[in-house]
Amino acid sequence: MSPAENEVHNRFLRLFTAHEPAVRAFVRRLVPMRADADDVMQDVSVVLWEKFGSFREGADFRAWAFGVARFEVLSWLRDRGRDRLVLDGEVALKLADESAELETRLTRQREALEACIEKVPAEQRELLMQAYQPAASIQQVAQGSGRSVPGFYQWLHRMRRALLDCIQRTLTQNPTT
Amino acid sequence: MSATLESLVHRYLDGTITADEMRRLNSLLQANREARREFAEWLNLDSALAMAAADWFPTEMKAAPVRAGEEESRRLVWLRWLAAAACVALCITGVWWWQAAQRTLATVTKSVGAGELAQGAAMRRETRVIGSGAVELVTARGVRLVIEAPAEFRLESAQRLRVLRGRLSADVPPTAKGFTVVTPSGDAVDLGTRFGVDVSASGAAEVHVFQGEVIAKASGSPTEQSLRGGDAVAMKSGMSTVRELRTAAFIQSGEMGELGAALTAGQRARAEAVQAKLRADPALIALLDFESGESQASAFRTVQGRWPGSRASEFVNVGDHLKLDVGGDREWPQLTLAAWVRLDQLGAPYQSLLHTDGWDNQRPGQVHWMVTKLTTMRLALRGNTLAPGSDEQEMFPDSKTSVLPDQGRWVHLATVYDSEAKTVRFYLNGRFDKETRQAIAHPARLGPARIGNWDRQDRKLSGRVDELLLLGRAMGDAEVRAVFEAGNPYR
Repeated sequence: MSPAENEVHNRFLRLFTAHEPAVRAFVRRLVPMRADADDVMQDVSVVLWEKFGSFREGADFRAWAFGVARFEVLSWLRDRGRDRLVLDGEVALKLADESAELETRLTRQREALEACIEKVPAEQRELLMQAYQPAASIQQVAQGSGRSVPGFYQWLHRMRRALLDCIQRTLTQNPTT
Repeated sequence: MSATLESLVHRYLDGTITADEMRRLNSLLQANREARREFAEWLNLDSALAMAAADWFPTEMKAAPVRAGEEESRRLVWLRWLAAAACVALCITGVWWWQAAQRTLATVTKSVGAGELAQGAAMRRETRVIGSGAVELVTARGVRLVIEAPAEFRLESAQRLRVLRGRLSADVPPTAKGFTVVTPSGDAVDLGTRFGVDVSASGAAEVHVFQGEVIAKASGSPTEQSLRGGDAVAMKSGMSTVRELRTAAFIQSGEMGELGAALTAGQRARAEAVQAKLRADPALIALLDFESGESQASAFRTVQGRWPGSRASEFVNVGDHLKLDVGGDREWPQLTLAAWVRLDQLGAPYQSLLHTDGWDNQRPGQVHWMVTKLTTMRLALRGNTLAPGSDEQEMFPDSKTSVLPDQGRWVHLATVYDSEAKTVRFYLNGRFDKETRQAIAHPARLGPARIGNWDRQDRKLSGRVDELLLLGRAMGDAEVRAVFEAGNPYR
């Protein structure tokens, strides 16, 4: 890379790394599984870098990246979602646009999770983190915890409910943080 | 309706939803904006949980810090144990631990002379060692790290770096608030800022905050300390002590590109060629490059110099110095002094580059070369006086320009004294700065001396000195410039 290209690449990396979590979460809201989001994100990051030349310096990188991600997700849903159980195209479109507007609130919710996870008893937290490891097998995690698979799913649903409640409570009590 | 939506969402998230249920979910979402908002929040929680899991480290690993050299054997024991273990739970832990170890936590964005880590290399959960040079990494959350050799470190997650030895500077964007550097003697938790950590071979660690706020906690100490921009502490055996800030001790991200470009352009060979020429100069008094074979009875650290794997002296504590006895008792009508230095901010009124011992009426012409509180370079010779009409603020020849740039970087300082022409000339980075005329100009006298301090009173130098030249003749402008250009580690 020439020094100028290197500089452009660094600028891209800085912006991309800063906004990657929001873009990933945006993609995640539209595809069924986390692994699908990883798939789409790979394409999104390549397209963002390829099109970075057309990104105007000082413009809103996140909004620009959401636009690129929206297009990639919709085409993914069309192509690879055909024989899978996925959101309808029209629903996905509405969700994409509405959830982009909600992004500030959703970012705060993601940030609030950290403190809520801390409140979960250590043993259960460990189990939850195992279940959310990339490519984790729920069957194995369930067995390891001594629960049946349906029992483990029930427990997981309760954990998610409790965490979302905690997040919403946190944000109601601290509307500005 | 909400309860139905919730259970459908859980099944959708788990991948256990049926075609029928998916149709119901789609029609609920199609019909109702509030349902879509709720759906977005559930999926958002799923993202956040996956992110937390990626940064998460199991408790038993947290409790047992891996020490240098132990890791390979630990891993072998671990694998053998795994193979033999009948316990399913342990197997699962092992499998996901292995999977987690494969994740890319950071990427090497620049490598300057660090053969072990090439640009573009992916950093995973593994211990890395660099013997020379420096690397710049960017973590998944955008933390920019420059790590200088010799160093041994390990990313435990995208938000957690364990440093067993070495120096690093970190530039942490708001998105990575909470980024933590773990050392054998304590932790530094970042609250959105720029800071440096220096871990010595003994495991003692220093935390220097350039900007923002960092929480420092010495291992075993019950209390945390909040450090702000300009603060620094040393952590050792559960104790924290306040230190002077040393910005120049850390290579910053901005320097890496220029250092890399110079190295690629072959600057090091050029610098060595000029050194070889100087060593053959009949007027050479001394050329210290701090490489092996020079063992002075002195107190200073040896650190990396301008080139990957090269050495320089570093002066940190009050009293640190390097003793030198060159030039004998003879008189030097002309004298050139030059050095590559990397200076911190001034903590004291004077910092010594080279002070001959004492300051004796009986030894006119003895040399004191220093940086003053005015941040100028000064060459003082005992018994010399300024020519009438000179604009010096004190009684000695000073450079016009400050020798301290905003950030600690390598700079080349030179001064040329000529007792016959009665002049002192100063050069900064090869550029002629100023000439001061002397009324009385004794020939220069050297002999026993100290670099980095004075034997009478502390005149501590704070920073690194690489390649110090004493030459018994006057270098011309072009020659000083050539020495600077050949030895410049930046491009």
